[in-house]
Amino acid sequence: MTVTPGKKPGDTPAGTFAIQFCPVCTRYIFYPRELCPYCLKTTPEIRHATGRGKVYSYTVVRVSALETFEDKVPYIFAIVELDEGVRIPGNIVQCPIENVKMDMPVELLRPD
Amino acid sequence: MKLKGNTAITGIAELAPSIKSEGRTTLGLFAEVAGRAIGDAGLSKTAIDGLIVTPPFEDTTFMWPAQVAEYLALRPGFLDMVELGGASGCGSVTRAVLAVAAGMCRHCLCLSGGIWDDRIFHSDETKVAAMSKAEIDYELPHGPMGFNSGYALIARRHMHQYGTTAEQMAKIAVEQRENALLNPDALFNKKPISIADVLSSPLVVDPLHLWEIVRPCAGAAAVIVSRTEEAADMPQAPVFILGVGEACTHNSIVYSDDITTSPVKDSAARAFAMASMGPADIEYLSLYDCYPITVIITLEDAGFCAKGEGGAFVENHDFTYKGDRPLNTHGGQLSFGQPSYAGGTSHVIEAVRQLRGAAGKRQVTRNRTAFVNGNGGIMSTQSSLILGKERI
Repeated sequence: MTVTPGKKPGDTPAGTFAIQFCPVCTRYIFYPRELCPYCLKTTPEIRHATGRGKVYSYTVVRVSALETFEDKVPYIFAIVELDEGVRIPGNIVQCPIENVKMDMPVELLRPD
Repeated sequence: MKLKGNTAITGIAELAPSIKSEGRTTLGLFAEVAGRAIGDAGLSKTAIDGLIVTPPFEDTTFMWPAQVAEYLALRPGFLDMVELGGASGCGSVTRAVLAVAAGMCRHCLCLSGGIWDDRIFHSDETKVAAMSKAEIDYELPHGPMGFNSGYALIARRHMHQYGTTAEQMAKIAVEQRENALLNPDALFNKKPISIADVLSSPLVVDPLHLWEIVRPCAGAAAVIVSRTEEAADMPQAPVFILGVGEACTHNSIVYSDDITTSPVKDSAARAFAMASMGPADIEYLSLYDCYPITVIITLEDAGFCAKGEGGAFVENHDFTYKGDRPLNTHGGQLSFGQPSYAGGTSHVIEAVRQLRGAAGKRQVTRNRTAFVNGNGGIMSTQSSLILGKERI
């Protein structure tokens, strides 16, 4: 499973997840923009997302140079491709490191 | 405006990389390397009428080209600052080509490099300073390891998609070390390493081992680009710029459409088209190497082998100075070091040395043409050059 932070303006009530969508381009957008990056005209809508995706790629961080992560090693930093077609960064959690596989299905876990 | 062959590299200089800056400043490094390059080109300082610089870490970037011009007592008629990460070396040469070919200047001095201070660069503050707002908001909360984790994600996906092996990646570091043994300026030039050595070095950001990760350091490099008409009367054999090309598809690797295919595909195609050449015409390779996977993907996307066959290509060729496919004979950044923005210029400088026939003990025999690639960020901005001994 991956964790993604609740960041405005993509934030929704606890337990749900939403991402931007351009109704003109009919495309999802990540990360949030003031204007749709594809048409540069439309203010994106916020749409509920399935919260499902698959691991596009991952790395096991064994030595962390970030103070706040020093005691968390080893951990997995990953790119997840959501069913909506956009990719997001995240961590893979609740799964032993050795069981993580490329393209394996994952669900978003809110950090609440 | 015709670019092919209308400009040439007429002067080069490079400071030996060093782990410690020892009280030096970027301005001081620039002054030293500029003086050497102007001497190499046989020019008087007043002949330099173009100046392109990479930004400093320790000073304000405000009016940086003018700060450098003043410190060096230059009076340029064309100034610019280039910040394309590791592509800045090739990108500076490309911009010099444009300025010189357009008649803005006759001799354009490109300066790159900077200081290195562990205390500054290992702080969280400096790490964040190199990140975009999107990276800070959406990646940093998950603990990315900057460039290391970005390239680890690419390497993992390449291994998964194409069966590229850890041994194939390690072989690049091994052969570049063999080249570095003949480069007295290289940071790591004392002893050879084996594939087993690389694979037994600490796994830092899986699948990347310590000896597959570039070492940032201090240093500087200078390249002078002149009009071809001027080059005929200058002391060094001119190295003609036959093709230039750039491309960018993303900043953070998270938003690349396909992380195992890089914008090199377009930057190289554009440079080859300008030069009316193809990969088969290239004799020497100078490819940006922050990690071995960068070299593998560049070889594939520039067309030196088919997509996905980079690993096998590495296995089947000898990249040393005496091999069948000499590449990064200065040791690459993996053994030479990565002196800030001058890391990407080291590939330009070594290609010029090889084409001049001035590479000493590591001189290659086939040296008529070179393909040079600069890579900025995480396989983000690409800048490709095609250099030749003859104007063609």
